[in-house]
Amino acid sequence: MIINHQILVLGGGPAGLNAAKYAANAGADVGLIDSGVRLGGQYWRHTGDISVDHAMHHNFDQGSLLIDAVLTNPQIKVYLECQIWSVSIVNDSIVLRSLFQIFQTQKLIIATGAYDRSIPFPGWDIPGVITAGAAQALLKGSGVIAGKNIVVAGTGPFLLPVAAGISRHGGNIVGVLEAAYKTSWVKGITTLIRSPFKIVEGFGYIKTLRKNKVELRFGHAVTAAHAGADGLLESVTVANIDRNFNVKSTYSLKCDVAAISWGFTPDTSIAGALDVRQRVNHDGSVIIEVDDDQRAIQSNALIEIYAAGESTGIGGSELALAEGAIAGLAAAHDPGISNQLRKLRRRAQKFAHTLSKVYPVASGWQSWLTSETLICRCEEVTYQTVREAAEELGAIDARGAKLMTRCGMGMCQGRICGRSISDLFDGNQVDRIQFASRPIITPITLGELAQEGLL
Amino acid sequence: MITFTFNGVELFAISGQSVSAALLTNNERITRYTRINNSPRGLFCGIGVCFDCLLIIDGKPNQRGCITMVQSGMTVEIQK
Ligand SMILES: Cc1cc2nc3c(=O)[nH]c(=O)nc-3n(C[C@H](O)[C@H](O)[C@H](O)COP(=O)(O)OP(=O)(O)OC[C@H]3O[C@@H](n4cnc5c(N)ncnc54)[C@H](O)[C@@H]3O)c2cc1C
Ligand code: FES
Repeated sequence: MIINHQILVLGGGPAGLNAAKYAANAGADVGLIDSGVRLGGQYWRHTGDISVDHAMHHNFDQGSLLIDAVLTNPQIKVYLECQIWSVSIVNDSIVLRSLFQIFQTQKLIIATGAYDRSIPFPGWDIPGVITAGAAQALLKGSGVIAGKNIVVAGTGPFLLPVAAGISRHGGNIVGVLEAAYKTSWVKGITTLIRSPFKIVEGFGYIKTLRKNKVELRFGHAVTAAHAGADGLLESVTVANIDRNFNVKSTYSLKCDVAAISWGFTPDTSIAGALDVRQRVNHDGSVIIEVDDDQRAIQSNALIEIYAAGESTGIGGSELALAEGAIAGLAAAHDPGISNQLRKLRRRAQKFAHTLSKVYPVASGWQSWLTSETLICRCEEVTYQTVREAAEELGAIDARGAKLMTRCGMGMCQGRICGRSISDLFDGNQVDRIQFASRPIITPITLGELAQEGLL
Repeated sequence: MITFTFNGVELFAISGQSVSAALLTNNERITRYTRINNSPRGLFCGIGVCFDCLLIIDGKPNQRGCITMVQSGMTVEIQK
């Protein structure tokens, strides 16, 4: 059976929730799809146990109010545990497929969010090396602390709530290593605190870290990870780095978990399959390009595609909410998008832009690699293999390297390594965008398809 | 509290947790061994993007532990 809705929203985070709410309030019939078991996305990820959720979240009230408003709105039908793995345009309709359902619509709002940006380094495939987002998801979604002795590292304002959350709930943080230098970091934090837009929630975390005597080091990064005899993470090499990320000196730190994040990568997987225009943003990430109504650019006049939230550029939950509201109203053809809403969005975007300059990822990370370091985790392609493709086989860009070495061709379809490979090749914009475009949104096995009777 | 098995051993979990979270609580960090180098892998991205946390769950291979909720009586196995 094919499920039809006037408007389909893909993604139930802040952007998608607000888009669904505003579109429904404007009279539209809305379907809201998310792969998770609960609504809320990354920001309002929760366990479903109210007492736990309030303890984990800085402002869960706002989230639970919005989630309730969506769940109780008769104009909105919510589809959970529904991972969309393929999308196509068939007879001038947009068709989305999950394992169990087929959805059809003329108007789609993409609100697929983002995931942690990772950069490769020796040992990053050892169990125990995780993303900062993974540590956060474990805590917020399952109430679990990722390990016994945790290093939090990388760059960006997100490291602080992750470290503080773990520390507040009794976890032991052996160090927070921020790659940015203190002067620029202080500038960033001051901007954050003064701004009405919170890129990450709450500011109590600095107090928490101080109170729990958690050490915060600037100009430091984890440049290698080491496993014990059991194959699990035992220690990391910490480097004092210069502004270009070149190593000045190193020391070793014992830990069983290293939670590392270099900002976020927008999830635009769906855009390539729909032939929606993407571009490279000021921070080097590939985003879905939208107009003033959050409408995406594509060539079929009989369908409308909008995008909101992190998939149109990293900016935090408040920007995602504003963009979602505008996308919802625009998709419902409601003329009531206020100038105030547009102004709010513009200010939040500007702020996100300013902040992103405080936390650059400099190219010196490439000097941390050894010939055996995996670049592509899925296909286990080493740095040496990628280099040989460039130096001996004549690969001039990421797509060339992919064809020659299979890097970026594994299960994750280049989501984790794509950005880094294109950085290794000093990727031009077209190469970067095409590397990020994939025909299938989420890989599923032929066996799974057969099992569900789809083959 | 519910119980599930990991490689045949019975473990405790809290319902509503992901399989990955339940395994970590029980000090189990390796979910699979890779195809080419046979090296151990575990949770990485935590949100269903990287496909590193693949496990055999109730007989089905290639299941992502980080986005699968643990259920009472579930059988979970390392994927090789
Ligand atoms: C792991 C992680 C943890 C984070 N934690 C925090 C935090 O604690 N505090 C904070 O301030 N910011 C956090 N962030 C930043 C976060 O990106 C923003 O705060 C905010 O959640 C962005 O809102 P959004 O609506 O754009 O996207 P998201 O909240 O990411 O929502 C996108 C939703 O789309 C769904 N989706 C994507 N693709 C598909 C598909 N193919 N089929 C079905 N569903 C799909 C996802 O399951 C997700 O629920 C986190 C980011 C990550 C990656
Ligand atoms: S840890 Fe990345 S998919 Fe599960």
